[in-house]
Amino acid sequence: MLFRKQCVCVCVCVCVCVCVCVCVEFRIGCRCAALPGNRSWIRWLFLMDESALERYFDDSIANDSCLSLEEELGVQSPAPVPEDSSFLSGKAGPSREPGEELDLSFLPDELSTQEEPGRHDDTETQPAALDTSQDSGIHPDYNSRDSTAAAAAAADPQQGAPMLGIGASPFCPMTPMTPMTPMTPVTERSGIIPQLQNIVSTVNLGCPLDLKFIALQARNAEYNPKRFAAVIMRIREPRTTALIFSSGKMVCTGAKSEEQSRLAARKYARVVQKLGFPARFLDFKIQNMVASCDVCFPIRLEGLVLTHQQFSSYEPELFPGLIYRMVKPRIVLLIFVSGKVVLTGAKERAEIYEAFENIYPILRGFRKQ
Amino acid sequence: MSGAGVSCPGCGSSNIVDDDLYSQAQMVCVDCGSVVSEGVLAHDPNGGSDVSYSWTTAVTRKPCVNLVKGLQRVKAICRILRVNKEIEDLSQTYYKQAYQHQTFIKVSLQKKEVLAGCCVLVSCRLLNWPITMATMSCLLDADPMVVGVVYQEMVKVLRIEAPIVNVTDVVEAHSQEYKISLLHVPEQLAENSKDLAKRAVALVELAADTWIVTGRKPIPIMMAAIYLAWQSLKPSKQRLKFTLDRFCQIAKVNKHRTALKRITEMKEVLCKLGREIPWVREEVTPDNVVRQVDDILKNRYALLRRALRTHEDALQAEDSVTEEVASSQASEPVEHTPNASAVELYGLNSERTQQPGDGNESPCTAPELQNDSQESQESAPNWGKRMLFAPPCVTHPKRRRAGLPGLQDVNGDEEISDSEIDSYIRTPREAREFALTQKILSLSESEKS
Repeated sequence: MLFRKQCVCVCVCVCVCVCVCVCVEFRIGCRCAALPGNRSWIRWLFLMDESALERYFDDSIANDSCLSLEEELGVQSPAPVPEDSSFLSGKAGPSREPGEELDLSFLPDELSTQEEPGRHDDTETQPAALDTSQDSGIHPDYNSRDSTAAAAAAADPQQGAPMLGIGASPFCPMTPMTPMTPMTPVTERSGIIPQLQNIVSTVNLGCPLDLKFIALQARNAEYNPKRFAAVIMRIREPRTTALIFSSGKMVCTGAKSEEQSRLAARKYARVVQKLGFPARFLDFKIQNMVASCDVCFPIRLEGLVLTHQQFSSYEPELFPGLIYRMVKPRIVLLIFVSGKVVLTGAKERAEIYEAFENIYPILRGFRKQ
Repeated sequence: MSGAGVSCPGCGSSNIVDDDLYSQAQMVCVDCGSVVSEGVLAHDPNGGSDVSYSWTTAVTRKPCVNLVKGLQRVKAICRILRVNKEIEDLSQTYYKQAYQHQTFIKVSLQKKEVLAGCCVLVSCRLLNWPITMATMSCLLDADPMVVGVVYQEMVKVLRIEAPIVNVTDVVEAHSQEYKISLLHVPEQLAENSKDLAKRAVALVELAADTWIVTGRKPIPIMMAAIYLAWQSLKPSKQRLKFTLDRFCQIAKVNKHRTALKRITEMKEVLCKLGREIPWVREEVTPDNVVRQVDDILKNRYALLRRALRTHEDALQAEDSVTEEVASSQASEPVEHTPNASAVELYGLNSERTQQPGDGNESPCTAPELQNDSQESQESAPNWGKRMLFAPPCVTHPKRRRAGLPGLQDVNGDEEISDSEIDSYIRTPREAREFALTQKILSLSESEKS
């Protein structure tokens, strides 16, 4: 059984130049049997300015462990960097215990801007990429200051196992955390990250709309009431399509990430606003996420359907792929003989990653036949 | 009832009897015979009964006519297929269950007939008497897609977990359809159906081992196997000249276009194995491989082992060479160059090792595949080309238009520029012209019609 624990530990280290490091500690639990022996830590180091930090501490913190940690941290302000690692490993005990998912919505938005420069690098890196390069990508001014911290962070991941896509910022309330691969041996991790291909989201504009008027006034709209009772609107950036209904509800499809979907939905709402309707942006919700990846070896679908009959459906006369309905998390996977896997039905990115990590060892079992 | 206290208006006697001998119940005076009062002529009230048919108990007393007809159709299909009694009973049970389920009770009669076929199909599968869906759709004279949809719905509703059909099991039954025995065609073209089936089964098994069967429709594969089997059983010039078209004509079956592709794929596989035969001197090409099919099939496991071993040796030799090449070319910025060099080396060794390999771990450990992160798109087809046998969709991948990169770092809460939004809205003049044009168009449409 695969499970994840994420805990955020904040460590404040006030150096001479009053720079603050926030360490995010990530631990992804692997199989139960392997868990006790394997513990590796990944740290992100971010710089925040003092005011942001104060605001952060002023906000109510949902998780108790964080609260207790933070109090201790507040006392330990002048801790120099090399102590961090020992401090963190010391704090590892209590921080491990508490709940599965942390509510990070308390963290302010500004922190998300720090994350951006690094992110797009990370999604493209191959498994063999080193984390020092990623660190340097994340925060430009970091290198100029705490090079010792960088050294410490680089030294920490001992095994040198692949480190993968550091996904969304943990501080942005809209984006869920993407799992980071810890420095564990390759056999426990697939080393492959599914790429998101499509996000479907819905939002309520909160006012009834005159579809004929919209179709008349907007350049990018098409409306054919005999075929479908909604306006089909498209924008170029992010390249998406929206179905806008007369009740004011809207469906936005085609985005490649949750943030892009939200941005696109906001743009559509803005267009509707400009056309004169009192549009708002209520109840934005991601309804479905589709991702795909390639395991790079052929798969014996007949064997897979024999052993996992209760989950799989394979009818080569109807569809060349095997349809695997995973129960936990509730995701549908389309598995093809070429090794390509399509995952769909997720509401969160983490579900997709979890589903893929669940299916990968099963597929490995059917690799050599 | 007599003596009800009613007196006859004609004679005044009180001797009134209830006369319901005939269709209408009447109260009649015995003395003078006049009718005092009448009952209703019909038992049902005017305008039909208050209760609809489906609510009456008549429904449970008499089974639905269509259900009965459907069960008879199920039996007929079973008789045509000549399945055993168990399958017949099971399919009738399933049909009764499925018919009365809400998803199927109100569908069209055509769909109900398809449902009958699907019940037979699933019973055959469960009781190890394999037939393909294509066969069933031929029997029902229905669109295979419709059959597929109904089948999947039915399986979901009845919660059946039916095993999949193994192509090798179906080949024998399928080959009976081909009218290629001595009774139907001249001697040079005739084949004993048992021999034909045996060889076709061997060919299909070989195809299954080498990734030709997984994910594909079974009928074109079987057709290709039977055609190649027929050719190879007596590889005379006449037979070799026969195209698939003509073969299907004389065997009186409908040709499938994809069978041609399967024939090519199978011939490729046979060539790869044919090359390993020690006593064959000449070059084995798809044209002359049919003569070797007999030998290949007899020794196919040994030949497979030899081919894999040769391929592995060749790959190892290549790896050591390409490592040197790759290191010298590591400075090249373009991702195509390392691939081009690797491909060239592959081309040099094409004599022995056609790139594909069978289930080797070498693709993932090849150094050049992991060096360059930008090669990630190129490495996918590479792994297929490094294996001796790989699914054809991997060795010949479809060329997909590379998606535009689009936005990368988006946090969803950015500012949206007014100019961008304005670019999506028509100017007033544009809107007026558009409305005008629409009106003109709709007027001309209505004039035409």
